[in-house]
Amino acid sequence: MILALETSCDDTCAAVVTSAGEIRSSVISSQGVHDRFGGVVPEIASRHHLELIGDVVDDALSQAGGSLPDVDLVGVTRGPGLVAALLVGVATAKGLAAAYELPLAPVDHLHGHVAAAFLAPEPFEPPFLSLVASGGHTLLARVLDRGAEFEVIGQTLDDAAGEAFDKGARLLGLGYPGGPALERLARDGDPGAFRFPAGERMAGVDFSFAGLKTALLYRVRDLGAEEAERRRADLAASYQRAIVESLALRVERALVRTGLERLSVGGGVAANGAVRDRMASLGVELHVPARELCTDNAAMIASAARFVAALPYPEYLDLDVYATGERILMAR
Amino acid sequence: MRIVAFDTATSATTVALSGVGDAVYTARHDPLPGARPGHATHLLPLVARVLERAGVGWEEVERIAVGVGPGTFTGLRIGIATARALARARGIPLVAVSTLQSLALARPRVDAVPAGLDTVLAVLDARRGEVFAAGWRMDEAGEFDCALLLPRALAPEALAELVAPLGPTTLAIGDGAIAFREALERAGSFIPEDDSLLHRVTATNHCRLADRLQGSVPDDVRPDYLRAPDAEMAHRT
Ligand SMILES: [Zn+2]
Repeated sequence: MILALETSCDDTCAAVVTSAGEIRSSVISSQGVHDRFGGVVPEIASRHHLELIGDVVDDALSQAGGSLPDVDLVGVTRGPGLVAALLVGVATAKGLAAAYELPLAPVDHLHGHVAAAFLAPEPFEPPFLSLVASGGHTLLARVLDRGAEFEVIGQTLDDAAGEAFDKGARLLGLGYPGGPALERLARDGDPGAFRFPAGERMAGVDFSFAGLKTALLYRVRDLGAEEAERRRADLAASYQRAIVESLALRVERALVRTGLERLSVGGGVAANGAVRDRMASLGVELHVPARELCTDNAAMIASAARFVAALPYPEYLDLDVYATGERILMAR
Repeated sequence: MRIVAFDTATSATTVALSGVGDAVYTARHDPLPGARPGHATHLLPLVARVLERAGVGWEEVERIAVGVGPGTFTGLRIGIATARALARARGIPLVAVSTLQSLALARPRVDAVPAGLDTVLAVLDARRGEVFAAGWRMDEAGEFDCALLLPRALAPEALAELVAPLGPTTLAIGDGAIAFREALERAGSFIPEDDSLLHRVTATNHCRLADRLQGSVPDDVRPDYLRAPDAEMAHRT
């Protein structure tokens, strides 16, 4: 069995997955301490990871009915993410693996999101187009096999889709993280009430959400505080539709460009109901993992660990983390 | 007792293994001036190297000792996360060692320092114009007699004010003593030459301390940050 750890942002995660992709356990400890700062504070996140990781690993192993000597492979997120946070997971994973001279698989976080699709009971087999959208990343990839070498064909030029949700939520007074709150509010609103740009005039398959956030800011200002408050649900619904349409438009273009007819959606934004519904309407074979596999988790890291070249002991002892941009395989 | 000890609180990565015959097996990495410490890349290879040199496997290790600072936050977490993982995996008792106390245990050669020094001040550079410091009175045998100054983060000037009444029998060591030599010397402390080995944290001393301390379960060993985190936003704006 595979034990995997994930600490790239503010969730402390460990999971046990079999080589066949069956999830034996997936433990996620969400810190929830960053809300008052309106964003993740790296030093606070890293301190919490260290506090939590031991119990999270113990829980993952005991829920799986195993112990460390039963583990065949240790997987860990190596990047991209917050360096200080990643280091807690990588140091822990290396220590656990080294104690029994187990092999260790360094996993790219984005490969993890893609590889969530390969988990049982209904693994989605390549080739497919993968949309990964979360608070940290937004990309489109052509996935031809299950390994780490997928081709990124589109990505965001500014904010991530999840960031657009959070920033919109803040402008509407919904606090942080505001994505789920914005989705709830949008259910009572009219998505056609206001017109927000979905980047229709921007060609290609790259994303941009910065203009959308600015458009909402101006609209709220123009309406005045009282009217904006009264029409908050309409604003939320219209804003959400713009994000969803922006994603859908590029997915459609990418499907045409690649000739792929199958689509997998992952990342925290894939937990949004409107996003799921819209992707389902595209008429291609669609795979969206369960919600708890869309947001950050370690089962997806274990899944990816099955398809990367694992490092035998002692080759990983000097393994370091990376914040961004070192994933050379992600050629455009 | 076979003890594996390491410390990553300062820019150095220092590892020691004691209890195999009379020898203490050691390994360390000191970054070049201005270079990153690289604890993540150096720690486990150095640990593996001393174990291999001594011909010892994890099943023979009876205790793990780790420096819990104070020091750089990221360095502390790398050391402690690694120590906890090894201890957890192998069911080995873990011991928290104060990095300052280990530093203070340096045994100066008689010809290296003036006679009559009975107080040791361990001072680490805490950056942002501050030091981490702690002080002890030592007995004739070079062992701790009593604590005079509990570990804290403070400005070097404030430290100088605290140590001035101790008089000219204080030995101040550590990279913080080097960085703020003038202020501490004015307060009467003796500070060895910059290149003296007395200024280096070494896991050999962790082994000596760990021999006397209680082991505990891994998660009870926590970093001694001594400072609250900056609530700086990582948030991209
Ligand atoms: Zn993610």
